[in-house]
Amino acid sequence: MKAAPEAGRGPSHPPRAVPETAEEAARLLADASAAGTRVRLRGGGTGQGIGYPFQPDLTVSAAGLRRIAAWEPEDLTVAVEAGMPIRELEETLAERGQTAVLTERPGEGTVGGALASGRSGWRRFRYGPLRDRALEITLATGDGRLVTAGGRLVKNVTGYDLPRLAVGSLGSLGMIVRVCLKLWPLPPARATVRASSAEEALAKSYRPLAVLETERGTSVFLSGTPEEVEGQSAALGGDSSAGWDWPDPPAGPVRFSVRTPPSRLRAVAARLRSAGLSYVAQFGVGEATAAGEADPDFLNGLRSRAEADGGSLALWDAPAAVREEVDPWGTPPASLPIQRKLVSLFDPERVINPGILPGRL
Amino acid sequence: MSVAGITINPMLHMLESELRGILGDDRVLSDPLERYVFGKDAGIDRGDPSLVVFPHNTGEVAAVVKSAKKHGTAVIPRGAGTGLAGGTVPTGPSVLLVVTRMNRIGEVSVEDRCVWVQPGVVNLDLTRHVTPFGFHFAPDPSSQSACTIGGNVANNSGGPHCLAEGTTVNHVLAMEMVTSDGEVITVGGAAPDPPGLDLRAALVGSEGTLGIVTDVLVKLTPNPPQVGTLLLAFERVTEAAAAVSEVIAAGVVPAALEMMDQAMVEAVERFARAGFPTEAGAVLIAEVTGHPTAVEAESRLIRRTAERNGAVIVRTAADEAEREDIWRGRKAAFGAIAQMKPDYYLHDTVVPRTRLAEAIAGVYEISRRHDIPMLNVFHAGDGNLHPLMTFDASEPGVRERVAAAGKDLIEMCVKLGGALSGEHGIGVEKRDFMPLVFTETDLDAQARIREAFDPDGRLNPNKILPEGSRCFDFGRPPPEGAWV
Repeated sequence: MKAAPEAGRGPSHPPRAVPETAEEAARLLADASAAGTRVRLRGGGTGQGIGYPFQPDLTVSAAGLRRIAAWEPEDLTVAVEAGMPIRELEETLAERGQTAVLTERPGEGTVGGALASGRSGWRRFRYGPLRDRALEITLATGDGRLVTAGGRLVKNVTGYDLPRLAVGSLGSLGMIVRVCLKLWPLPPARATVRASSAEEALAKSYRPLAVLETERGTSVFLSGTPEEVEGQSAALGGDSSAGWDWPDPPAGPVRFSVRTPPSRLRAVAARLRSAGLSYVAQFGVGEATAAGEADPDFLNGLRSRAEADGGSLALWDAPAAVREEVDPWGTPPASLPIQRKLVSLFDPERVINPGILPGRL
Repeated sequence: MSVAGITINPMLHMLESELRGILGDDRVLSDPLERYVFGKDAGIDRGDPSLVVFPHNTGEVAAVVKSAKKHGTAVIPRGAGTGLAGGTVPTGPSVLLVVTRMNRIGEVSVEDRCVWVQPGVVNLDLTRHVTPFGFHFAPDPSSQSACTIGGNVANNSGGPHCLAEGTTVNHVLAMEMVTSDGEVITVGGAAPDPPGLDLRAALVGSEGTLGIVTDVLVKLTPNPPQVGTLLLAFERVTEAAAAVSEVIAAGVVPAALEMMDQAMVEAVERFARAGFPTEAGAVLIAEVTGHPTAVEAESRLIRRTAERNGAVIVRTAADEAEREDIWRGRKAAFGAIAQMKPDYYLHDTVVPRTRLAEAIAGVYEISRRHDIPMLNVFHAGDGNLHPLMTFDASEPGVRERVAAAGKDLIEMCVKLGGALSGEHGIGVEKRDFMPLVFTETDLDAQARIREAFDPDGRLNPNKILPEGSRCFDFGRPPPEGAWV
């Protein structure tokens, strides 16, 4: 496994701990709180370096937590440990025709890492954002408590919705050690249809999985019964191929996502295109992920526009020179005081990924 | 102005004068009889609000919250009062803040498929308002002609059609809220993935304990091009439950899968005459929506699965009128009860879908044991049971039997891997059962969420969490080994 890239933030690689049970993870964090040790969490290593930089004293890896705890195919739920690689989980689920609808191009990514970063897959237009998968969650909090919330049930309002709240929390409420995910049946037929415009494709299709525009063109991703997929393909012009031909995630020295109301995505995509960046714009959703050589002025301009429209720009990765001039998150949310209080109640010594969230939480 | 019953508490008297100054005399109620009307919801618990207020806008809500804070009084938000778990029932001196007069619907954004609505807007009014645009608001509780969006947000309400579309949390993009300090903030927006923690997740379903929601940006769902509705009758409940499991296992998640047992079907037929077969042991309503060819294929699969599991009647609604008849019957379930006994107690628990048949058998056993008739209607697709107990509260000892039966129902469902509530919330009704599903450490974490939003516990106190949930003082690590 490749060492975590520390992108210009010092040469040292901190020691790594690999707990093999939830209890071990909790004990490690309790010790870290007692000693004031700064901990970086690591799943598959695909999201290391998100947010404000910090120098960790210890990396806690989820690699030792990768078991399927319980899979109930007829209930459409699976409980897994957080270090389970997404690819492995999806391969297992596919044997019974099911999917957890996580990211389509996981690389080495893990279930816990995906949930902690909160980045949804492309099928969210149909299935909703990633947080809707989290039915039950067990967190090892910064001060070493093992907390479970939610339930292994597809419908449940027993207590506050900590499972959804933990999605995208980047460790600030604790290390995700176990989660029960809602599953969906894999549809019998799938197709990818080339389209001339995303807007037209949205108008002519009924609830596609995704309408993605890249610098190379527009594709509509369909699923359903063979008759439905065939009928929808024909309505879209018929330039289709069987299966889902998901695009490669944009790669380059600067990687970022723009989130905007869906109606403003066209303007964002146009600016990404004219800047010569590689991008995937999710029409109907309002998110575009891009990568390439982007200069700070361009990024800050894009962020100002997005924020004025009620959206945001998140910088995932960038050379030090760009990071100096572009904040990773932009303007902190209005609810920052509540968020700060919440984090302080789950991680009083602020040992897990300290200060990486918006507002340097 | 008569303020009988209030004058004994000087603090409340000062608060009342201040609120009358903010809202005017006609929007502050303090008369005992008027307060009595607002002392309960549609459940079985009752309380006595000190004052009942009717703000018109966010600024007034903020002013009420600030004033109540100054005078050390709790604030309890309330929609239409159709809740069943006592979520708006006062447990001590309190201002009941009724949002029903905040009922404006903003401009529909067709491109972004969303609209801002105030919390007092009635659920069905919202769907009617957006129908001309080709949309609907997906959560559709049986009380949808009365319940409000604010109440839906507070309880994370579901309804028959939440099987495929999800509950209210899946349909709220942003909320403007008044915090426990009386500040106004907005969380979320029309853009996806707001930066930082997703507080929307905590707010939806928080029963008014984390903030008072004053405006809601709801997601609108496009109306499906085709709808297929099937009425399936079985001799036995177990056969219907098996059919439900098989449909899901075959890779179909219908828009709705609703079941009623014979007692419920008989009651509904007497009341609504929807054409349900009263001789059947169980009636299943299945609805599939979407692309016409998919609706046809999935309807076929459901019909075949039902027949394989012994369905004696398989009827497909031929047109919209027949479809409406079927749903009229389903949604009349609770109205139908009024004809049977003077009182009822509608329960709400949830089990894994595959344990449904066992849960139903358990319901019948508990009904016999306590001699309380129970009719059953459930969201079978997601394992959500609604046993409906009917009784005459004037009979001596009956209330105790109802309470004991309710406790047994919850314990039975928890043993089957279930939880306390699928969609009605915890309120005061079930808060003391929380330790059945959560450890002390789990409950403490829940209490910490509350503390982050409302450190003084002034917003809708004594709901959701049992007393003493917060076991550790703020900032102090737990004792060694507390988590094992």
